[in-house]
Amino acid sequence: MEDFEPRIVGFLCNWCSYAGADLAGTSRIQYPPNIRVIRVMCSGSVDSVYVNRALLEGADAVLIGGCHMGDCHYINGNYKARRRMVLVKNILKTLGLGEERIWVRWISASEGQRFADTVKEIVDETKKLGPNPMAKRWNV
Amino acid sequence: MKAYILPVKDKDPSAAVNEMLKGLLSSGEVSSVLALQETPSGKSAFPTMISDPEKLSSNVFAPILPVSTGTMVSKMTRVRASPEPVAVVLRACEMRALTELIKLNQADLANIITIGVDCHGTVPINTYSNYPGEKKPTDAVLGGEEKHLRTACLSCKDPVPSNTDLIIGTFGAEMKKELYIISNTEAGEKIMSGLDLKEAKDLKNREKAIEDIRNKKDKYRSKHIEEHSDIKGIDKVAEFFDTCVNCHNCMKACPICYCKECLFESSVFDLEGSKYVNKAKHRGAFKTPPDSLLFHITRFNHMILSCVECGLCEQACPSNIPLMDIIIPVAENAQDEFKYLPGRDPEEEMPMVVYREDEYEEVGE
Repeated sequence: MEDFEPRIVGFLCNWCSYAGADLAGTSRIQYPPNIRVIRVMCSGSVDSVYVNRALLEGADAVLIGGCHMGDCHYINGNYKARRRMVLVKNILKTLGLGEERIWVRWISASEGQRFADTVKEIVDETKKLGPNPMAKRWNV
Repeated sequence: MKAYILPVKDKDPSAAVNEMLKGLLSSGEVSSVLALQETPSGKSAFPTMISDPEKLSSNVFAPILPVSTGTMVSKMTRVRASPEPVAVVLRACEMRALTELIKLNQADLANIITIGVDCHGTVPINTYSNYPGEKKPTDAVLGGEEKHLRTACLSCKDPVPSNTDLIIGTFGAEMKKELYIISNTEAGEKIMSGLDLKEAKDLKNREKAIEDIRNKKDKYRSKHIEEHSDIKGIDKVAEFFDTCVNCHNCMKACPICYCKECLFESSVFDLEGSKYVNKAKHRGAFKTPPDSLLFHITRFNHMILSCVECGLCEQACPSNIPLMDIIIPVAENAQDEFKYLPGRDPEEEMPMVVYREDEYEEVGE
């Protein structure tokens, strides 16, 4: 399992977390290249279907990144995202389908370091979990 | 709340209710009644919209749930509320579904009088058509026979209707002689004032009977959850849905799944050939039609907080997947998380449309 490199799908909001990831890059902060970022307009626009699809398609971890509470560009999108992701995780937990692979982080546009640290943390934790068993199943 | 006694003639409680409904039609109190009525063959019973008292031969106790009356009221009122008063007779789970549909702006109670019926459970449609034994299904189930009841009914959260204008009460009543009619609202009271029924002395019998039946269902429910707690992990969950043919009947039968076009029936997941080839290369193999597990998990995410556990999904499944084995624990845990009980209170806001600033503060930090 030593050479297992997790693949992470990240849904990052346009206004904060994506800009935070950008800042990490322009600031030349090193972070693991394991994350594939999908820019969305708001964390509140990430329906559960996208998160679950990433997981069922075999992503080893999924990150939903949004603005800090109170900072949402659309006023309350991240509050709604928070509830929705609680539900996503709750259902995955009941079914034992790997809710611990779903990550939610509020990262502002000025927190390049926090973004880099988050990715590093997810990679470390996911390495402990091992590959997503969904990835090689053919009958789901 | 006021309680009345509806006398039963010839040991036939359905007939007594039928006469009462006829009275509402004849007096002009309502212009139509939507109630469960057996088809001429007697093989099934459907919610039937009746305005001619001559054609009214309802059997509101028929132990069958071919469709949720909540869905029917939504169909009837979603575009525009009914211009004339309609009395709708429904079971507890149907009223819970209707309450949720109203919150989702899919139904309107203007000019609708809701009459709840105490529910003794329902049997699958085919069992109803060919009910084993000598007795008719209605008599058997009202008489306490439980062996053919659907799982959803055996583990029902509450067989007593809530939030209805009137309740036709069988619990605690000596059904061959009399039924309770309970009015909960002004609209219900107005109907009762035209019926000239005797008031019930007290409801002690009924309260006791309700407590007993709720305890019994709770017990069954806990046991059922316990017995199926092993459906966990991708191996077991995939096995559970192994016979799913992706027909989406569960979604079509569900009173809560109200979307006119489900995401999974749209072209969102139609991919070009190269994506199929790539996916096959990446995984080595994959089953088609794809995304059947994703469909179920997404359906849970979209409707489970409003799931009234009517079990229509399970009844609609052509592969006989025992969906309630998985739906009950998923619903229980999800609804617990948000302290939400679908159908409990029309004023209670749905968890996914509201939020509080000071909650789940550990998430995202």
